[in-house]
Formats: sequence, structure tokens, C-alpha cells
Amino acid sequence: MPLGDLVQYVVTGLLVGGVYALMSIGLALIFGVMKVVNFAQGDFMMLGMYLTYFLAVGYGVDPLLGALLTIPPFFVLGLLVHRTLLVRVTGGGNPQRLMDAQLILTLGLSLIITNATTMILTPMPRGIQTAYATQAFAVGPILMNQARSYAFLMALVLAGLVYVFLTRTDVGKALRAAADEPEAAGYQGIDVRAMHGLAFGVGIALVAAAGGLLATYHPIEPTVAVNFIVLMFVAVVLGGLGSIPGAFAGGLVIGLVQSLTLLVLPFQLQNAGVFIAFLLVLYLRPQGLFGQRLRAV
Amino acid sequence: MLKVSGLSVAYGGLQALAGVSLEVAEGEFVAIVGPNGAGKSTLMKAVAGGVSLAAGSIEYRGQDIGGLPSHARARLGIAHVPEGRKVFPSLTVLENLEMGSYRPAARRRRADGLDTVFGLFPVLRERRDQLAGSLSGGEQQMLALGRGLMAQPDLLLLDEPSQGLGPRIVEGIFEAIAAIRKSHRVTILLVEQRVVEALELCDRGYVLETGRVVLGGDRETLLADPRVQHAYLGT
Repeated sequence: MPLGDLVQYVVTGLLVGGVYALMSIGLALIFGVMKVVNFAQGDFMMLGMYLTYFLAVGYGVDPLLGALLTIPPFFVLGLLVHRTLLVRVTGGGNPQRLMDAQLILTLGLSLIITNATTMILTPMPRGIQTAYATQAFAVGPILMNQARSYAFLMALVLAGLVYVFLTRTDVGKALRAAADEPEAAGYQGIDVRAMHGLAFGVGIALVAAAGGLLATYHPIEPTVAVNFIVLMFVAVVLGGLGSIPGAFAGGLVIGLVQSLTLLVLPFQLQNAGVFIAFLLVLYLRPQGLFGQRLRAV
Repeated sequence: MLKVSGLSVAYGGLQALAGVSLEVAEGEFVAIVGPNGAGKSTLMKAVAGGVSLAAGSIEYRGQDIGGLPSHARARLGIAHVPEGRKVFPSLTVLENLEMGSYRPAARRRRADGLDTVFGLFPVLRERRDQLAGSLSGGEQQMLALGRGLMAQPDLLLLDEPSQGLGPRIVEGIFEAIAAIRKSHRVTILLVEQRVVEALELCDRGYVLETGRVVLGGDRETLLADPRVQHAYLGT
């Protein structure tokens, strides 16, 4: 196979991986701070896709801008879901029972969101038409789909902002402190419950924005979550549970593996490559690519 | 400043504290000594807001704080250096110290706080960009103490600062506590298993056994008490 082809697959994979990376850091943030596995994460992404879609169709808002506009309402939605539901299954109590309750809650939330969306919006797939979705930047012989390129860049910028927030601001550091040692965080004056709400709000806002970016080139339907939630979980585990840079790298790796799998397997088996790579990493490096006993963020 | 009355705490039916009462006056250094499992750490946690009370009350500067969450107590000026240090392992040394001054009253004086802490523990300045989890046990204890000082506390709670450390490091830690005491207007409540060192540092002390205060008094009285001498000083 010519080298040019290989480079093309790598580039395509990384572009898609950027959006996977953005959706995965939301999940990693929630898990890292709250120790809650949020099975509804993909459904919030789906809702983000729909909001971007309706902004585009109803008000002519470009989906790249629409993706940014999803951030404030979904942040508030995340805070509300935390305040009304998650707060009941986090904090003190028997850890095993709490974990069971969290699983039932987020899985139930996922089912309700998927089915309510199907009922209200019908299962019909929709798509946003943009000029750039069908055009490509050419760099020598390499083609880069414009929608995916813009989505990749925006994902990169948003992830960068999250990183700066977590490492350069007091509140961001307090979030990480609450993830590390919640009890000691309380003794420093950090309101751990508020930090949980913040993590959930930011986590949901990020995955909704990632959904908006995805909507520039991916069809939108109520069950779209199932295709992505598994990828997000794989990315988070690959990166080392709860690590934000790890989840970001995990997302990129998944895009890359998906794309390279096409070289040897048919399209329908794209995710088989991801799972094979996943099992290999878990076998060779069970703490994940970036997982250490000590991690930087 | 601090008034604990009839305090009881239970963990799942197991009584850890049974009607403990004690007082700490403004500017005082009070030590609580006693054997393992006496409830010393539970008492400190109860004051800091880490466990809920089964009975009794905790008054801080005339305010009942028994029902406040730990972060609200921290904001009132109570800094707790917990047992086992509990530094934030994935944060750097500097970030740990910054988190110590998270409460608004301390945030404004962060630069002063850093000067004080780095003056007291120069090794922390050297390692400021290192992850706290990579520090040795002694350095982590210094960091935990420094983090407590960063809060510019009015009441400093020190829970077993010597735990798990070698004798030379322990000596350094106690010297640092004595230095803090000299240079700061801070009230200290210290819990220790090392009875001699703790009693020599303090103004006044209590002996806690199986969840009850069995003895209380000033330093000389306690050091001279035959029960203390027999049980803890080995004479």
C-alpha cells in the first residue's frame, strides 16, 4: 500500500478522534471527581446534537457556532440533574449500595432520555446541511474534510480551555483536589458537593458541545448514543481512569484505530479494531496509556 | 474559643466518643494524648466536621458549629491537618499549598503564607513543582502542616503529626510546631500518641481513654501525675 494512503488514513482518524477526545474528557471529569460512571453521557451528547440541529434549521445558526451555544444551557442542565438526582446517590453511605444506585440512576436516565426523544422527535434520522461538510482541504495529496477539520480544531480549543481551567484557576485546582481527597478538600474550605455539581455541569456541557460538532457531519437520531458511549468508555479506560489528558489521548487513539482498521477490515467491523486495541492495552498496560499511581491532572 | 460539651460519636453502633467535654482558650496550646483507639482522631474529626455527632455540642467563638459541614468550619478559620496527612497526591506541592489558602480570608494573604511555609520548610520550596504523591512521608507531613498554615487559621487542629515517621523527622516536625507556636498568634489543639513530646510542647492537656476524658490539667500537673507517668512515660 502506498505511503500516501496510510497518511490519509492517519489524518482522517485523528480528525475524528479529536471529537471523540472532547466527548471523553467530559466523562473522565465526571468519573474523576464524582467516581460516578455516567451511562447517560451519550444521551446528553445526542441532546446536544438535536439542539445544534434545531438552532441550524430554525434560526440558521451555523452548527459550529451552535455547538458552542449548547454549552451554557447544558451546563445548567448538568447542575440541575446533579442537584435533583445525583446528589442522592453520591457522598456518604455504603459504597457498594451507592454504586448500585448510581448505575440504576444513570442507566435509567439514559433509557428515559432516549425513549422520550424517540417519542417526541420520532426515530427519523436528520442531518444538517452545510457547505463545508462535503468539501475538503487539500494538503498535497492528503484530503481533509472541512467539517471534520473545523470540528477537530474546536474540540482542541475547548479541551485546551478545560485544561487551563483545571491547572491555572483556584476553582479548577479545587475540583482536582476534591477528586483526589474529598475529605481533606472539605478541611480546606472546598465545598465538595458544589464541586460535584460543577464537574457534572462541565462534563455534560462538553459532551453536548462535542455532539454539536459531531452533528456537522454525522446523522442525528435518538439512538445515536449507543454508537458513541462505548467509545467514550474505551477512551477513558485507555487513558487511565479519570485522567483528563489521558481521556483526550484515548479519544485520539480510538479515531486513529477506527480509521486504520478500515485498511484491513470492512467498514461494519470498524469498532472491532477498537476493541482489539483496547484488549491489547488492558493486557499489556492495565493502568491505561496515561494511568499512573500519580497523574498530572 | 473552642468548647466541646458531652460529645458522643458512633460508627455503625460502635461508640468512639462517649460524652467528651473540653475547652480550649484563645491562644492556648492544648494537647490530647492517649493510647491507640482512644478516640483522639475521632474527636479531631468531629471538631473539623469530618464525622457527624451522635450527641453533644461544639461551640467555636460562641457559635454552635456542630451541624456545619467541614468546608463551612474551615471558612470560619479552623484548619485541620488530618491523620495520615491526606495531601492531594496528583496536585503539585505548590498547588497543595494554594488549596490550603482556598478560603477567601486566606487567599488574599497567599504570598505571605507561602513565605512563611517555605521559610519553615525549605524543602517544600525546592519541590514546589513536584507532585505531592511523590514526596516522602516526612515531606508529606511538612506539606500537610504547611497547607494548614496557609489557611491563616485561628484554630489549628493537628492530628498525629508524628505518625509513621522516623525519629529524626519527628523531631523536625515537633520543632516546626514549636516555631509556629512562637511566631504565630494561633490556637493549637494537638492529638498525639507520643505523649512526652506532646505534653512538653503544650500549655495544657487531656488524657483520653476509650472515648472518655480521664484526666485533664496543665503541663506540669499531667507530667507529674502518677497515672500518666506509669502508663505513658514508663516510670
